[in-house]
Amino acid sequence: MTDAIVAEGLTYSYGQLLAVDSISFNVAEGEILGFLGPNGAGKSTTVKMLTGQLQPKAGQATLLGLDVVKKPKKVQEHIGVCFELTNLYEQMSAAENLKLFARLFGVKNFDADALLKRVGLDGRGGDRVETYSKGMKQRLMVARSLVNTPRILFLDEPTEGLDPTSSAAIRRVILEERERGATIFLTTHDMVEADKLSDRVAFIDKGKIVALDTPHALKQRYGKRMIKAEIAKNGGLEYREIVLDRDETAADVAALFSDEKVITLHSEEATLEDIFMQITGRGLV
Amino acid sequence: MNWQMISALIVKDLNLYFKNQFFALVTVLGIVAYAAIYFIMPTTVDETLAIGIFAPGLTNPLVEELAAEGLILNQFDSEAALKTAVLEKEYPVGVAVAPDFMQKLAADEKPAVNIYVANDVPPEFQEMYALLFRELGFMMAGRPLAIQATEEVLGVDRAGSQIPPRNRMLPLFAMFILMVETLGLASLISMEIEGGTLEALLITPLKVEGLFIAKGLFGTALAFVQVAALMAIVGGFSREPLIIVTALLLGSLLVTGLGFMVASVAKDMMSVMGWGILAIVTLALPPLNVLLPGLVTNWIKIIPSYYLVDTVHQVVNFGAGWGDVGSNLLALLAFALAFLALGVVALRRKFR
Repeated sequence: MTDAIVAEGLTYSYGQLLAVDSISFNVAEGEILGFLGPNGAGKSTTVKMLTGQLQPKAGQATLLGLDVVKKPKKVQEHIGVCFELTNLYEQMSAAENLKLFARLFGVKNFDADALLKRVGLDGRGGDRVETYSKGMKQRLMVARSLVNTPRILFLDEPTEGLDPTSSAAIRRVILEERERGATIFLTTHDMVEADKLSDRVAFIDKGKIVALDTPHALKQRYGKRMIKAEIAKNGGLEYREIVLDRDETAADVAALFSDEKVITLHSEEATLEDIFMQITGRGLV
Repeated sequence: MNWQMISALIVKDLNLYFKNQFFALVTVLGIVAYAAIYFIMPTTVDETLAIGIFAPGLTNPLVEELAAEGLILNQFDSEAALKTAVLEKEYPVGVAVAPDFMQKLAADEKPAVNIYVANDVPPEFQEMYALLFRELGFMMAGRPLAIQATEEVLGVDRAGSQIPPRNRMLPLFAMFILMVETLGLASLISMEIEGGTLEALLITPLKVEGLFIAKGLFGTALAFVQVAALMAIVGGFSREPLIIVTALLLGSLLVTGLGFMVASVAKDMMSVMGWGILAIVTLALPPLNVLLPGLVTNWIKIIPSYYLVDTVHQVVNFGAGWGDVGSNLLALLAFALAFLALGVVALRRKFR
């Protein structure tokens, strides 16, 4: 599989503040990379460098074999960007918004209704965007990022603060896009979402990538697998945790069932958030 | 009434007002700009009157005596040089006295006096000059003079073709329409920047150059269509329509550049209004000068809108041709291109 995105030593600073510190990574074609980190970690700056909005102070970014700095417009023909903050023409209808961008991308025979249907906005295409709810606007933002059938899709916090219906609609579209073969660069600080959607995740903290692997591998490497038991004791409930993958695990489990009255038993694994905290010493917010 | 609470609120509002950098800046700049305009304008009433004269026999003591009275006689070496000066509006009036003036007077003959009047001197002013010359002759001869005076208006004689007030106001209306378009364009761009839609546009294959061309064409076309519609309605194209179209197009380019500049410093609708009004006040001075002649003098030519206003005024009200307003159009073109270039540079910095 060839790489859709190659970043080598990307660096950016705002004055004295080093926002992105020489990061390097590859994203394969058709892969979803979750780019995770707290606010101010350097996620959006990285996206801006990859999409040609900011010129790196050092390093190089190549998308689909094209140098972003040297050929930004060529790169932008093949990418779709869903911004973190809604930036739609609110006085225009949803269909007008989409058609405008389709024209900018030179899309022929563009079907706005079909795209609106994909994001669950069918029947609302003629309504002014200012009448939309936050979730509807965000779905329209995602739809706008798809007008040119991009080969690489950048989604910056696409489901943040949305209702479950809108979030589910957007997640469904993301998976459909991967099915189509698009590469997806998903920026989020929602670890659960990243875990569900991403093939690999990168943790960024203070401008540096501190971990990059599949969610499963990260959990294997950093997480502790365990089982958590709920037992009846002295007229109430108590909890027991048994860490797996140890020599004495089997004996501990046997003892649990022989010595205690087990009410419920659950397997527990570390979440990406736990791992992020373990690596960086801080949470995602 | 709790004055303590009221004063606390007032202090809070003042604090908020001046914490807003835009309001603070515009407040200060407004004061500076209006004060600058005030100080640029003449500080005193000019009680002297300067006229050109060609009079070979004129004595210096008489010239000095008249100067003391407030009448400055600037002597020319030849009648031709005097005519050129009046034609070029250096003097409103020039008087050429024949070399044998005194001899003829002494012989009780009627000496010839040629009076040259610039074509933009209103009739009432011409009468005032005639009265002045009779008085001057009385001072020179000690008695009423019997002279043969010939009056010649240099340039196109506009006697009997006074301009109705509404025609004088036409350049003002045109300028205001263009200025409103400046505000419209600036607020549109400002809203795009603040709303982030510009960022979305620029992440498509659209280049910044393309964006500027689109905005420039839109701004220029919108301004031109509006001002051209006004001119069409009031019959402003009845004389030299091509010149008017050229002038209005250049004027539209000028205000588009200005719109870019305003958008580059403004952050929202209110700040567009603030900056825009500063520009409007300045650009409105030349049309006011047409409306109220004599209000200002040559310094008004440093304001770019002068060249648009003067062209429209000269063509619509006096039927001027390419030769008369060609220099105006060239100056307007230069200002328009300069404004556009400055606007693009200023706005481009904001796109980064």
